[in-house]
Amino acid sequence: MGDTVSAGRRRMRQYPAWVPYAFIAPSVLIFALFIVWPALNGFYQSVFTRGIIVRPDIPGLGAAYVGLANYERVLGDERFLSALGNTLLFSAATVPLIMLLSLALALVLQKRFRGVGAARAVVYWPSMISFIMVGIAWKWILNFESGIANYLLGLAGSPKVGWLVSPSLAMASIVGVSAWASAGFYMVMYIGGLNSIPEVYYEAALIDGASSLERFRYVTLPLLRPTILLVMVLATINCFKVYQQSRVLTAGGPGRATVFLVQNIYEEAFKLPNSVGYASAQSALFFLVMLALTLVQLRLGGRDGEA
Amino acid sequence: MRAILSALKALALCLVAAVFLLPMLWLVLSSFKGTQELVAWPPRFLPKAWTLANYAAGLRYGDFPRFFANTAIATAASTLLSVSISAMAGYAFAKYRFPGRDAIFVAILATLMFSLEVILIPMFLTLKQFGLINSLWGIIIPPAATPTGIFLMRQYCLGLPDELLEAARMDGAGEGLIFARVVLPLAGTVLSTLTIFSFVWRWNDFMWPFLVINDDELQTVQLALANFVGQYAVEWGGLLAMTSLSMLPMLLVFLVFQRYFMKGIAMTGLKA
Repeated sequence: MGDTVSAGRRRMRQYPAWVPYAFIAPSVLIFALFIVWPALNGFYQSVFTRGIIVRPDIPGLGAAYVGLANYERVLGDERFLSALGNTLLFSAATVPLIMLLSLALALVLQKRFRGVGAARAVVYWPSMISFIMVGIAWKWILNFESGIANYLLGLAGSPKVGWLVSPSLAMASIVGVSAWASAGFYMVMYIGGLNSIPEVYYEAALIDGASSLERFRYVTLPLLRPTILLVMVLATINCFKVYQQSRVLTAGGPGRATVFLVQNIYEEAFKLPNSVGYASAQSALFFLVMLALTLVQLRLGGRDGEA
Repeated sequence: MRAILSALKALALCLVAAVFLLPMLWLVLSSFKGTQELVAWPPRFLPKAWTLANYAAGLRYGDFPRFFANTAIATAASTLLSVSISAMAGYAFAKYRFPGRDAIFVAILATLMFSLEVILIPMFLTLKQFGLINSLWGIIIPPAATPTGIFLMRQYCLGLPDELLEAARMDGAGEGLIFARVVLPLAGTVLSTLTIFSFVWRWNDFMWPFLVINDDELQTVQLALANFVGQYAVEWGGLLAMTSLSMLPMLLVFLVFQRYFMKGIAMTGLKA
């Protein structure tokens, strides 16, 4: 009896035990070396003072264990706090804009009609190219002296507007460009979600005499909840990583009005001596804020979903 | 009434299309204008005299042919590596049973939380340890492992019948041979999807080259464009031309493989 079972097992598995590990080894190796190790090292470095530019001659800044001092310093650092504030403001404006814009586009372009494929392609196209390319196109449009935006405003009798150079408008321009460039990507996700809602629910609502607004409110929205949640989480994470748009459009200016977390961390580490530990502490806080936001969103979405 | 409504709808649709199409179109059209016309006031929509002068200037400026070559090499190599190792890992996670399988798979998916932007500085230190700073290998190897790729391939392989693999084993085929001769030929669609996505991600990528590359002659196109636009006096003609040129491969890929994108995003919702 026992013999037949083990014989059967032997026949089932005719490959050496190491084979599966060999198949996953290349990927696992890269993940271990280039994600797990740097991530752990980042937390480790954050309790030291070390530098990419090392200046041991500067007193008190040699490579030394400093406990949580880097974290304490971050919390009183005006540059970091303003970058954090800018990032939060940017995300708070861009995420809802993306969610509404891409949902509206999805509702219009979900239906089947002549030319819908082309329309979807046109809306999706800005997501196909980098923020660098998108940023250059908009910088050309919004540029103060010879940009077409100010020309068109001039036709309407308005004076030139400093889209990228006035502190309040620069942030708004980056928000607008980011939402414009991302809408197509999230639209495709929404269309996927809309297509997965069974037709029968709409038919049933129709029989009950629901208006199109009621069908949207009581059929589409509740059944689309998982997609809405996913879009919200992904959009928030991507907004928190904002850097390329501001690099091209404003280079962080005017002043520091559009310096975001990524730019601040990078400049901290690469332009100031002995600041790897300090920049790592900023990265760690950046990660924790992002993680917390994601968990809160998932929690809220999950709870509402049950109700 | 109905005719008016549908005309209004068509008008709204055209407006939406214009909002999304015109900004990039304006960039491309401007790139064909002469130096004078580029800053002419009032601007004309179409170039009065089409010219390639900006393209010639751009290609001379800062060695763009080399930047395109760097980008093409890095994109091709990283995509080849990425698709190969993702296919292997995805297949193993779907079709083998081994201790630690599920834990490792979940750990790999969890790495999505640690994108490059979040671990920028420690990543730089690691790359430096391995001698990958200022080398194209630095933008080929580290980005090649993607949870998205492994996930897609695993989903696909879960659908393959075990009997197929058993039959091949009965015939005495080794595991490597089964993967290469039985599994891969059946996985054409998912491999194409992965290849296209990886190509687009790597071609567009800015953050990895930004962190890895210092030398001017090793720059990729995206890095060079970003540096180009960061100068005090932007040389618009060449910049617009080189930006248009770098959109061209994406346009070709998009026109040929449009369906893969819509499907791929709807399937995974992931963007690297």
